[in-house]
Amino acid sequence: MPERASEHAQTNRAYWDRTSDEYQQRHREFIGRPEPRWGVWQIRESELDVLGEIDGKDVLELGCGAAHWSILLAKQGARPVGLDNSARQLEHARERLAEAGVDFPLVHASAEDIPLPDQSFDVVFCDHGGFTFADPYKVVPEAARLLRPGGLLAFSHSSPFVAVCEGEDERVHPALTRDYFGLHEQDHGDVVTYELPYGEWIRLFRSNGFIVEDLIEPRPEPDATSTYWDDEEREWARRWPSESIWKARKAA
Amino acid sequence: MSHADDALKNREVWTKANAEYTDRTARQAWAQEEIDWGMFSGPESEIGALGEVGGRDVIELGCGTAYFGAWLARRGARVTGVDVTPAQLETARRMQEEFDLHFPLIEASAEEVPLPDASFDLAVSEYGASIWCDPDRWIGEAARLLRPGGRLVFLCNSPLSILCAPDEGKVEERLLRPYTDFGRMEWPGEDEGVNYHLPHGEMIRVLGEKGFVVEALHERLAPDSTTDHEYYDFVPAEWARRWPAEEVWVARKSV
Repeated sequence: MPERASEHAQTNRAYWDRTSDEYQQRHREFIGRPEPRWGVWQIRESELDVLGEIDGKDVLELGCGAAHWSILLAKQGARPVGLDNSARQLEHARERLAEAGVDFPLVHASAEDIPLPDQSFDVVFCDHGGFTFADPYKVVPEAARLLRPGGLLAFSHSSPFVAVCEGEDERVHPALTRDYFGLHEQDHGDVVTYELPYGEWIRLFRSNGFIVEDLIEPRPEPDATSTYWDDEEREWARRWPSESIWKARKAA
Repeated sequence: MSHADDALKNREVWTKANAEYTDRTARQAWAQEEIDWGMFSGPESEIGALGEVGGRDVIELGCGTAYFGAWLARRGARVTGVDVTPAQLETARRMQEEFDLHFPLIEASAEEVPLPDASFDLAVSEYGASIWCDPDRWIGEAARLLRPGGRLVFLCNSPLSILCAPDEGKVEERLLRPYTDFGRMEWPGEDEGVNYHLPHGEMIRVLGEKGFVVEALHERLAPDSTTDHEYYDFVPAEWARRWPAEEVWVARKSV
């Protein structure tokens, strides 16, 4: 990691290096299914159509973990690059690439400071990755720099309402427990996560030359299951927006 | 219920509100120098949603007693006010006489405005069409009425406050109703009308479909000094100091 890496980037690197094996063991089957899917409820990309046609495009995944997403996009003809802040996560990614018989670059870096050239991608995306565990005020400008004119930024994130309704048990409840503003950097002790209000995301996109294209707030099916949220939390997610998928286009 | 029936019901609500509150407070609102937004008086000088208004053709959609239009007219805008409630427009006309500040007032629903295409630079709504009309219709009308590059600015209740709103009574500090209630909402209280509220994602989608590019969403907290609103009291000030009760959208019609 470059010396200028922030303290929270180092904290999160250590967190993911330490928890990667357990994470992959717990979620691998759920998130490793044979078609691209989004988020906590693994809703199909074919249903949400976030990324559009991907064939022949240069695609950067920010916080790729074991690169399940990028492997599937590679099989659809994309030229992906997977970036992750954790070396251990990238070891898992290398194993998955070998198993899948695909090959593409994996970059070990924080999404806040990406060692790749300007305007080298058509799509920058992540699924609960680099925009959650790195500071959006640094990641969005990086995405703007890396995208070609007309390029697409798309990512999923937990909704601001989740942070407002998260109890001390780290689960969501109907009660509003935390103020809406001031949730930007949340220090959980061993890991730091980031959240912005809806309007602040829009301001950040606009100030970095993006046009806001869409905000998809996916809703799980009544019988949906997840290795991230339990059934009680699913009922919350059925009633209230638990995830945001933002789409923003770099001005042509 | 048809849109026309809803408009009639909302007209009843506002005829009553006019008799109870808006008529007697219109003079004070008209006399105010500063432009501000909503129940908790978010200052435009801080929000900066409107841009320069001098010399611009402005339409206020759901103008009520037209105090907002008056603030803009005083700054050199050429304002037209549209409202569906005759009593509200009567108050507006009386204020125009009192303040010697005249601009056209039209009795119509913002879902169907009898004015030509591409005749305005700015469309505004402060709890007007922005919550009392069908977004699919009134935002379409705003797009039609605006010139290319024109700006749409409107204030509405935050989705979070509506999710925390019981059928009757004040907003609570917990989520009470699901997102699936959104869209057309008919409140059960006897003085209640028909509102429209959308999730943020839906609002962005409707604006995009009608040819707008979203420029900003200003989510507003009530200032520390705020007390409960004397009439629009369904959001306690204490709630609104922690969570945004209202928000201002800014969108630009594509060129």
